[in-house]
Order: sequence, then C-alpha cells, then structure tokens
Amino acid sequence: MRKTLISLWCILLLLSGELLAQTRTLTGKVTDANGNPVPNASVIVKGTRVGTVTNTDGMYSLNVPMGAKTLVISSINLQSEELSIGAASEYNMILKAQETSMDEVVVVGYNTIAKRSLTGSVSRVKGEEVANRPVTSFDQALTGKAAGVLVNTASGAIGDEVTIRIRGAASISSGSSPLIVMDGVPLTQGDQGQLYNKSNGLAELNPNDIENIEVLKDASAAAIYGSRGTAGVILITTKKGKAGQNTLNFDSYVGFNEPARNMKVLNAADYITTINKMRSNAGLSNAANYGDINNDGKLDTVDTDWQDVVSRKGLVQNYNLSVSGGSQRTTYYASVNYNDLNSYMDANQQKRGSARLNLTSKVTDWFTIGISSQYSKTKTFGHGSGTGNALSGIPFGPLTAMPNIPVYGPDGQYYDGIGGSTVSYNTPNPEAVINMNYDNRDARRFIGSAYGEIQLIKGLKFKSQINLDYTNAFTDQWWNPDIGDGLGFGLRQSVYNEVNTWDWFNTLTYNRQFGADHELNALAGVEHIRYTGKYAYNYGAGIRDMDLRLISADNYDEVGGENGTNDIDNGLASFFGTINYGFRKKYLATVTFRTDGDSRLLGPNRWDYFPSGSLAWRISEEDFMRQYPFVKDLKLRASYGLTGNPDIGYFPALSTYEPDSYAEKGVLRISNPGNSDLRWERHKQFDAGIDAVIFNNIGFTLEYYNRKTIDLILDNPVLATLGFPDNEIKANVGEFRSHGIELTVTAPVLQRKNFHWNVNYNFAWNNIKVTATNSVGDIVFDQDVAATFSVAKPGYPIGAFYLIRWAGVNPANGLPTFLDSAGNQKQYDHATRTWTMVKDGSTTSQIAATDRVIDKNKSPYPKFYGGLTQTFNYLSFDASIDLQYAFGFYVYNQTKQTIMSYANVRNKSEDILDAWSKAGDNTDVPRLFYGDNQWSQASTRWLEKGDFVRIRNVQIGYTLPKSVSGRIKVSRMRFYIQGSNLYTFTGYTGIDPEANSTGNTNIGLGIDRTRPYLSRTYTVGINLGL
Amino acid sequence: MRHILYSFLAIAVITSSCNKKVLEITPQDLLVSDLAFSTPQKIEAVVLGNYDGLQSAEFLSGRVLVYVDLMGEDIFDRTNYFTDLPRFNLLANSGIASNVWTAGFAAIARSNRAIAGIEANINKLTPEKAKELLAECKFVRAVANFYLVNFFGQPYAFTADASHPGIPLMTQAFTSNDPAANQPRASVGAIYTAVINDLTEALADLPLEYEEVYDTKVRGTKAAAASLLSRVYLYKGDYANARKHSLDVINGTYGTYALNSTPNAAFAADNDGNYMSGETIWSIPNSINDNPNTNNALPMHYHPDGRGDLSVSSSFLSTTTNPYFTTDDKRRAMIISGTTNQTSAFKFTNKYSSITARGDWAPIIRYAEVLLNYAEAQARLETGVDADAIAKLNLVRNRSLGLALPYTVLSFPNKDALVAAILGERRIELAFEGHRFWDIMRVKGTVTNKYDNDGTSLLPPQPYGARKNIFPVPQIEIDKSVRVLVQNDGY
Repeated sequence: MRKTLISLWCILLLLSGELLAQTRTLTGKVTDANGNPVPNASVIVKGTRVGTVTNTDGMYSLNVPMGAKTLVISSINLQSEELSIGAASEYNMILKAQETSMDEVVVVGYNTIAKRSLTGSVSRVKGEEVANRPVTSFDQALTGKAAGVLVNTASGAIGDEVTIRIRGAASISSGSSPLIVMDGVPLTQGDQGQLYNKSNGLAELNPNDIENIEVLKDASAAAIYGSRGTAGVILITTKKGKAGQNTLNFDSYVGFNEPARNMKVLNAADYITTINKMRSNAGLSNAANYGDINNDGKLDTVDTDWQDVVSRKGLVQNYNLSVSGGSQRTTYYASVNYNDLNSYMDANQQKRGSARLNLTSKVTDWFTIGISSQYSKTKTFGHGSGTGNALSGIPFGPLTAMPNIPVYGPDGQYYDGIGGSTVSYNTPNPEAVINMNYDNRDARRFIGSAYGEIQLIKGLKFKSQINLDYTNAFTDQWWNPDIGDGLGFGLRQSVYNEVNTWDWFNTLTYNRQFGADHELNALAGVEHIRYTGKYAYNYGAGIRDMDLRLISADNYDEVGGENGTNDIDNGLASFFGTINYGFRKKYLATVTFRTDGDSRLLGPNRWDYFPSGSLAWRISEEDFMRQYPFVKDLKLRASYGLTGNPDIGYFPALSTYEPDSYAEKGVLRISNPGNSDLRWERHKQFDAGIDAVIFNNIGFTLEYYNRKTIDLILDNPVLATLGFPDNEIKANVGEFRSHGIELTVTAPVLQRKNFHWNVNYNFAWNNIKVTATNSVGDIVFDQDVAATFSVAKPGYPIGAFYLIRWAGVNPANGLPTFLDSAGNQKQYDHATRTWTMVKDGSTTSQIAATDRVIDKNKSPYPKFYGGLTQTFNYLSFDASIDLQYAFGFYVYNQTKQTIMSYANVRNKSEDILDAWSKAGDNTDVPRLFYGDNQWSQASTRWLEKGDFVRIRNVQIGYTLPKSVSGRIKVSRMRFYIQGSNLYTFTGYTGIDPEANSTGNTNIGLGIDRTRPYLSRTYTVGINLGL
Repeated sequence: MRHILYSFLAIAVITSSCNKKVLEITPQDLLVSDLAFSTPQKIEAVVLGNYDGLQSAEFLSGRVLVYVDLMGEDIFDRTNYFTDLPRFNLLANSGIASNVWTAGFAAIARSNRAIAGIEANINKLTPEKAKELLAECKFVRAVANFYLVNFFGQPYAFTADASHPGIPLMTQAFTSNDPAANQPRASVGAIYTAVINDLTEALADLPLEYEEVYDTKVRGTKAAAASLLSRVYLYKGDYANARKHSLDVINGTYGTYALNSTPNAAFAADNDGNYMSGETIWSIPNSINDNPNTNNALPMHYHPDGRGDLSVSSSFLSTTTNPYFTTDDKRRAMIISGTTNQTSAFKFTNKYSSITARGDWAPIIRYAEVLLNYAEAQARLETGVDADAIAKLNLVRNRSLGLALPYTVLSFPNKDALVAAILGERRIELAFEGHRFWDIMRVKGTVTNKYDNDGTSLLPPQPYGARKNIFPVPQIEIDKSVRVLVQNDGY
C-alpha cells in the first residue's frame, strides 16, 4: 500500500511540469469593484495550463503562447472573468464580488451542490473559524458555531472527551455521536483511552488543514449516510491547492493557560475551626490542628492552597507551515504542524506533530486522480490516577487535602503525614501523586484516501475512492509503590490498541442542464466499509526493583494480561443514490435512498432501507418577487426521511457463549441469548425551513424539525426462568420524540469604507420526550453506574433528574430536611440517628431511595443554546468575539456534594462557613455534626441551574499594510492576541456548568463529579503568507 | 463504450465479493452458540458452566447459606446488612428474593441448555461420557430446584399431598424469548419428585470420582448425589429412603469418606487441602481468582476482620437455649471475639476466614451431615432408642467432646429424646452452613430466642407455617409473566 502511494506521488509531481513554447509577455493589473488591487488572482490562458497569479499590488506578468486568444482571471470570492487578447501587451481587469453566499458550493456527502439548490438542512463552518485556536481538537472550536450543534468539552484535562450532539440525543442506550467524514474517510472518534485518562481521537487531526466543515442535520441531508446518519453527519473538507495560486503560509501562536475558575475551599485556620466544631458538636474530641512539621517543638501554622500547588501557567504553542498551489493540471496542498499544549495542571501535556499532503491531478481531459493523506503522532502525558473523583485525582485531591499540612516535609521529600491532626483521611499528597505516577499515551494515526475519476460522457463521471483510517496507541501507566493508589505494591500497566477502518466507494454522478429549464444532478454508488480493532494489555503488580519497570514475572510479584478485538469487528455494505432536480431554478426536489447491510444484524434484518425526500421553492426567482429587490434570495424547503443509528455494540443480535471459570477450569456460559429480530434504531425526521438573503447580504435561516426515534435498542426484561444474563434481551423497544427550532442569522451590521462589523448568530431550541422504554415502561439508567442521578422514563425528557427532594435546613434546630415521596417533610438528627416529622416531631421512617422523584423540568440538555460571533475590521486591525450560551438545563453538583460531607475530615467548601449555628438561622447548610452522612446524600440540594454565557474567544489582530509587507517580500503578515474561554457568566457554583463526568452518553450527562476545571488560555500569534 | 460496460461488470463482481467480506463476520472474542457443543471439550466446558451458575455470588457461593441461617436464631444481623430478611419482613420487590430466584433459575436454565445440547450432539461423545455429563447436568438442576423450592415454597408437609405452590418446573432449553418459559408454579410435591428423579438418575451415571481430588469435591459424584438424596428425603419426611441413601455413603458404597480428627479441619482457609479432606463430600470452591465479590463472600459476612455483618447470637452460645452445646465443647474454639471497638463486644464464627482472597469454599455437603441424616432417619424409623443411630451421632459428637461422656443407649429415656439430641447436635455441627432454619421448619418447629440486629432485643417467635417463612415470588417476575406466576400469601 505504502509503495503504491509513493509511486503515485512521484507520478503526480512529474505531471505538474510545465510545457515550454514560443511566447510573448502580457502585463496588467487586477482590481476589485472598489479599485483595490486583488492579490493572488489567477491569470490563465484559456484552454492551457499557462498561468500566473497577481502580486500584492494586483499586478501580473505572464508569458503567453503566440496563439493565445483568451485570458481567464479569477480569485476567491470574486466572479471570474474572461478577456480577449489582442495585440496590446497590457490588460487590466476589474473583478466583481460574487453575488451572494447562495452561490457557494456545499458538500452534501459523496458530491457537491450549489447552496442555492440545496433542499436539506446543512450548516457550514469555515476552516478559519476553527484554526489557530488553542484547543486540542477542532471539534472544541465548533462550540457555538452552528445552530443545533451542541459541543461539550468535558473538562480542562488535556485530551478529555468532547461530546457533540446535533439536535439533542439520538438514542437512549446506543451512541449519539454524529458520523464524522473527512474527505470521504469515515473517522474513528470517541474515547480511545484505555486506562485512567480519556482521549479524544479527533485531537489527532490538525485543525489548520480544514477548509470547511459541513453539518448535515435533517433526514434529507443525512439519509445519504443511511444507517449512520441518525445523529447527524459532520463533513470535513481539507484544504486543496488552487491552480496558479502558489502560496506559503506560516501560522504560529504561543501562550499559556490557567484554570478558568477555582472552587473555594477552607484555608487552614477555618479548616481547623470547622472540623473541630463538627467534632465537638458530635461529642467527639478535636481532630484538626497544626503540627510540628520541622520538629522544633513549636506548632507550624502551615496554610497550603493545594489547588495552587498543583497548578501552573501551562505553555501552549503551535507552529503550522503549509504550501499550496499548482498548475491547471495539478494542484497540491502540504502542511506540517507541531502543536504542544501544557495544561494548567502539573504533568498534563499533549504534543502533536502532523503532516498532510493533498494532491489532485488531471491526468487527461477525462481522467482525474487525487489523494488526501495525513499522518500524525500524538503524545499525551496524563495523571497516573486519572482525573476525577479518585482519591488521588485532580481536582479531588487538591480540593480535599488538608490545608494545615505542607507539600514537602523538612527532609525535602513529599510530606505524607497528617501534621497535628489526629484523624486520618485517605487523600494522598496531591502534588506527590501527580508527579510520581503517570498515564501516558502515544498515538499514531494515518488517514488517507485516493481516488480516480473518469468523465465517461459529458456530465457523467465515475469515481472510485479508497479510504483508510488507521490509528494505534500505546498507553503506559505507572503507580509508584510509595504513595497513592499504588501504595505498598506498585503497578505498571500497558495497553497497545489499534483501530482500523477501510472503506471503498464507487460513485457515478450525472450533472446536466436540459434546455433552459431542467437541471439534473444525480448520484449512484456502492460502498463497503470494514471496521476492526485490537488490543493487548498487560500488567505487573508488586514491583521488586523500582528502577527496572519491565513487565515480567521476574520483576513483579504478579503479572497478567489479556487481549482481544476491543469490541470493534464489523462491516457495512451499501448501495445509495440521490437525485436533485431543479425546474427553472425555482422548484427543487431531492430524493435520496440508501440501503445498508450490517454484519452485526442477522437474517432479513441485516439489510434496511433509508429513504428521504425533500422539496424546495426558491420564491425569489418568481416574477412577482421582482418588486421586492431587497430580497436577494428566498427559499422554502421541507424534507422527510429515515436514518439509522450504527452505534449498537458488539454483535448485539448474535447468540454467543463466553468463557468463565469454575473449579480453576475454563467453562463456557451464555453471554448473549441473541435476538435475530434485532433491527436498526431509526429516526423518522421531518424538517421545514426558510433560507433567505435580504438587503445587504443578510443571511437568515429558520427551521423547524420534528422527529421520532423508533426501535431503540434497549435491554428488554424477560422472565428469569429463561436463564439469560441479567434477565434481559436486547430488543427494539424504546421510542422518543424530539422537536425543535433553529435560527441562524449572518449580518454585515456595518460596512463602511474602513470599518466592517459582521455578526453571526445562532439559536437552537430542542425538546425531547421519551415515549417508550421497554415492555414494562421501566426507568432506564445510564450504563455508567456512577451516573444514576438521572433517568429515561416514558413521559419525561431524556436524562430527567431522579433525586430525593431536599427541603432545606430547619431554622429551629439546624437539622437537614427532605421530602418523602408523599411530600412529608422529614428531618434527620445524627445525634440520635433518628428521622422525625418536621411538623410534629414524631418519629418516622428514613428517607430512602424510594422517595426519589423525577423532575420533568430538569434535565441536563439545554432547552436553548447557541452562539454569537462578531468580527470587526478597521483599517489594518481586525477583532472577533465569540460567545456561547446555553439555558434551561441543570447540573448535578457532585463536586460540591463531595466537599460538603460531614462524614470525614477532608477539606471542605467555603460554603460550610454558612452552617446553621443558632435557632433562627436561615441557611441551607445544616448544623455541623461530624458523621452525619444523611444530609449530604444525593438529593436536589446538589442540583443547580447550569445557565451560562461564555466568552469563548476574543481575538485582536493587526495586518501589516501592503506597503510594508511588500517591502519584506511577504504577501500577508498578521499579528494577533487571543484569549480563549475568557469568562463565563453563570450562577452555577461547581467546577463548570458544562462539566461532564460521564463522557459521551445520553442519560447521565450533566454530572459534575470533580472533573478538572476548564482552562483559560492567552496566546499571541502570527499569520504569515508568502 | 464497451470498456465502460466491462468495468461495470467488474464492479458488480467485486461488489458482491466485498459484500461477503464485510458482512460475513464471526466474533473472535465470543463463541457463537452454534459452536458451543461442537467438540467434547466444549461440551464439558458448558457442563462445568452449570456449576458456575450455582456458584453465583447470589446463590451457592455463600449467600443462600447465609439466608437460611439468618432466618434461624443462631446468628443476628449485626450491621443491619440484610435489613428486613431476619425480621421476616421482606417486600414483594425484595432484591434478595429476586436475586436468589434469578440465580437459581439461571443454573437450571444452563443445565437444561446443556442437556439439550448434549442430546443433540450425542454422537460427538462416547456413550459413557455422554451419560456422565448428562448426570452432572441433572445433579446441578436438582440442587438448584431443591434450594429454590425451599426458599419460595412452604415445607413439604405443609399440605397433606404437598400440593401447595412451589416454583415453576423448568425442563426445557431456551435460546430465545420463548413464551414456553412462562410456566406457572408447580406444586412443592412435583418439584420434590423432579429433584428426586434427577438425583436418582444422576446417582446411577455420575462417577465415583474424577481424576483429580479437587474435581471429586466440587463436581457431582455418586456420593454427592446420594448424600443430597438423603437430605431431600429427610426434608420430605421419607425416612426410609433418607436412611438408605445415607447408609450407602457411610458404608463406602460410593467411596471412602470420614470425619477429620478435629472439628475445624474441614475449614481453615489458608489450606485448600482442608477443603479436600475426606470429610468434604461436595462444596462450591471459591478462590482468589474465582469468588463472590467483597459484598457477598462468606468471610466478609461472617469474620470480624471482614465486615463481620453476622454475629453469633447468645441463643447459640448459651447452654440454656442450646442445651447440647456444653461449655467445654471443642467447637466453641471456633467462636471468636472481634478485635476492634465496634466488634469486640460480639462473637463470630471463624469457619470462614479467607478475608483478602475470599477463597473459603462454601460447604454444601459434609460427611458429618450424612452421619446425622442417617442417625435421625434411623432413630425415627426404629421404635426404641436405636444403638446404631447413637453410634453415628457419637461419631460426630465425640470428636468435639470435652469432659462429658459419649452417649449410650442409656443416655436417652426414649426415642424422642434421641431425635432431639440428634437435632441438637445437627444445630451445633452444621451451624453457619445453611441448615438451621429449614431444619426447624421441616419438623414443624418454631424459631425462638431470635435476636434483632443489636444482639439483645428479642424478636417474636416465628412459628411453622408463617406466611413470611418463605420469600416472595419477585414482583417483577409476576409482572413479566402477566400473572401466570402467583404471589405467595402475605406479600
């Protein structure tokens, strides 16, 4: 394979050579409508490969063959013009701006279509909006950029999961992540981490390579991806070279990041007072005090801010060099990138090096070939105990570590005692743990595609493309035996894993205008995809020699391991087609059809059909619209169709046995009873929208969708007498309905000669209601057992919180109170360990899990969300501000719950200083009472509104005037400063309103369980173009 | 144009071969069920999987033994771990009841699938091996049915013809959500008949021993089947058959079994050899690699260095309420005190002490029980005070005897006194091994002197026949059966 690619490259490079002939020289200047010179405009002799580009002053000089008759002059965003050549040697040209954004070409799957002819719902984000952002992956930079696309970055840990939801959840127990396709290659995504840290496979791509991102949202657009289209599709097009526009770009930024917020925990003095008060109220002796750390006989008033200790200003840097250009025959784009992000947390870093080569070549008039390829190596340095709520994790460790003990002992070693305190706790020295343990991941990834395209007859093209996405990673993890999780034994674990996707598709496209009235754009294709995975894991526990970490039975008391396919082993065969028909450019219709066969489904259910249809009416083309000249474009569209969800797990339908053991022997037991009737989870989606361009290029899109997700694959309870694992069989039993509204407005608010102000605003409102779970209408919990605060239940929104109701602190006695399922207010007194009714003091039963209530108004999914991007240009200055917002959702603040516990001597939230102390105190923190484990139990006490507005990105740039840059032989030089995630306006008091400890899931979102704070990043950068 | 046609033809051919390549995929990490019975080795592995079903953390790896003892008076739930169970106050949605039901029927279903699989692939096995493996399946099925029917149905004698409801009698193999699995509850009598049939057939075909001693102790053997039969007949009140089968074991018909010289030598976790001594007839083997979790392991529940949920009650220790447990009985050395502030005031058994490895085997049938089964059946069948019954009772009692003298015929004024002594001995010898409550119920006794979780508050006496002596049929199963299953009275 590699050999073939290399020889292909060589051939393509040879082809790009130019022919020489007898010539004469033409010169001239290209300007825009305002008289400004147009640099980089391509000037080509029609029908040949002879051409050049204009310099920064819009000037060109071109040797043309004697027989040349016509010049073609073109430039980005301007209409190309043709010019007849006479005997003169100077030809100037004025290029007009392109009419409207409706003339853009949009990628809609296997082919492209003019935006004006589009009948489905597609949002576009330009590559420049995600480039040069100090984020680990481009998807993070999509936040707030497209209507209905919710992007959630779980935490500030480098490489943590990013959850993308298009129009909300797409399933209950299966996946809801959109399909991501880059230049035709379906990408492996999601968490590919193996041990204690998550990873995001998309961090292995270079955002600077991206030309455009298209988001297919409705069934009409996504149905071309059939069984994979339910959660929406994100299409990435990488940059390609342009004929005659040879450029070299260098982009770089350097900066630092820091935690975007810090939760306040007690300082040493308050800690000692609070803990001792808690203890004395419970009749116990004092537990907290300063200690004599340096053995001088005196108590040392240590006050350690552990969060500060484990934080730093993390250096971030990025260097990107790209060249692109080419001749009429062959174009190229190549880039190298080095990206190095240090998190604000000590010992957390990611380094990525990547290279890309994209080539397209017209071998003959009828035969075109192209390749698109990237290779990257990504090394991530993570914490050995992971992040989160492990005792050694960040920020659990620094939030709960005692503030009255030092980081280092008098011997200069990490301090591991409890100072003058008398009651022990389990939080190991956080600084020691993150520096002595590690969990590093070294990933390599090749993504490549190669195609050949033949023009068979006019308008009819055949294309064959092979695609490969190969990724592997080696994870190396270590727990030091001296501290933390590995205390007393020491552990080394390593995992090698790889995921491979190959894909081959063949398409026929037919593009033809019949007469003046009929426009036809048709596509038919076949595609085959194979997904495979492998992993090998081994570990050594009980290390004998710390300096020798080789995992072998000689070096550890215990070694072991396992390997397998990592539950990735399936294939997809497909036939698909789409027809776009336009009548007089006014009436548009699209019919799309795909049939997919999936190896994981059986018998007649293996193949299923995913049709869709849509209609659009371009009202602006009607004669009666001539009287409204301010309406540049107006289109009404509607679509309906079916898509499927491929994320259904490992052989869910097949009856299988798995190994177990009895009596030290291997045995076989049933693993999955199998359900040969299992079929696809499907969306039936209706979408209607208006696209308009009015006045001075104000773009406007409003749409409504209503979809029913049916045949959800869920664990359906069956009789225990069948003897199947967990008394369940996977079956198509669930159903939910979602509907919503999306609005996008792009407006050039102010356009003066020297000042431009553009606004891009998007808004999405989404509502989901579960209508069926299984045959008995059960509550369905998240598959993550730590995420059981919310549920899916018929009649409620997905992820509705399911909690005991907190009823405040009784001002009379300071006791915590809760409501039982019937609404009775009960209080708990840990002194007597009794529950009593608040109303009459009578003894009553304990508040228990049966008192949990589902709140239909409180779910982790925002009711509405979106973003606002503003760009300003003044003379040589430019600026942009990106805002992101989300409202109407709730977050379970488990972090606060953890640091408000009365059951241990770990450090506490500053909120604890508000504790009730005398009759009449109105507070929501009960009287301090050591050991009270009831008050801080899971309840609505910890459920908070998540509403927020976030300043995502602010950038101010300065571009050197042409007069200066021209003198130093560069076409463009821009400097900028950028602040990322600058400030969040929110009433939420936990880690972050977007904190997500469960990761990429459907039910258990919105749980803030001690994941690291998001980071705030400041960078300075340069964009240099030659 | 012809080229084009040829290329399309080529694509069509390639497409169909690609379809095959991407669609015909069999899992590498799982075994397709069709292959589970494809070789003798795999068939045997499936049969061993039946025992693995019994070994469920919710079933015979320890929990069901705990439940039977918790309903008796010899232990109390010190940490309130089992909440309502020892107070006979379970609810219809009790997790304990549904876990036992699920685990038991899973073992039965595994056995049924194995039987069907063997019968369908009988040509892959030698006739001897096929018979032996089928016998093992029936043995496992009988064990699960026996425990289930006693948890969910009243004792055999509750109605004259044992027609009161037991559990669904499952004999069919299911590989899909088959409506035939929705069976109503069969009578207790029908379940006992099925258990006795399975065990009798198993007894005929099971081996005397396996190649390794280890296997002989943990897989079905003739001795295990006969011993269990003696217990089943005893529960049924068929003393003649109980005597016959226990005597066969005692006489060495099914191999040599004998008591160890000291009462604790069949336990002591640090040495697997103890579990494999001549006193062990059949156990569920747990080990560091294969055990119930920390919540369910016997040593975690029983040992003060584990969680110590279960404390030995004063009713068991007192000679007033446990008159046969003399103060110098050597088995008192197996009662220890806790060592922490929380546990030092309480007594615990040290029968299960493999705390970190959770490796204590669950003792299901010990030779001591067989001796006592025989003694009881024999004593009940004879009209006078029977010397042979006393002889077998003495075998058990004498090794733990302090200064008291061995029993003689003269020690008992009548047959009832002898039976009482045997039952008393049984309470002490088999304590904490999952016998006590059912031993009381099968003779229509009443649980008295039972303590609540503080170890000092007495619970009311629990009489024979009380509704909540048995578990509720799990409400969820009744719901799923659309009321084909009928709930026990009182739930």
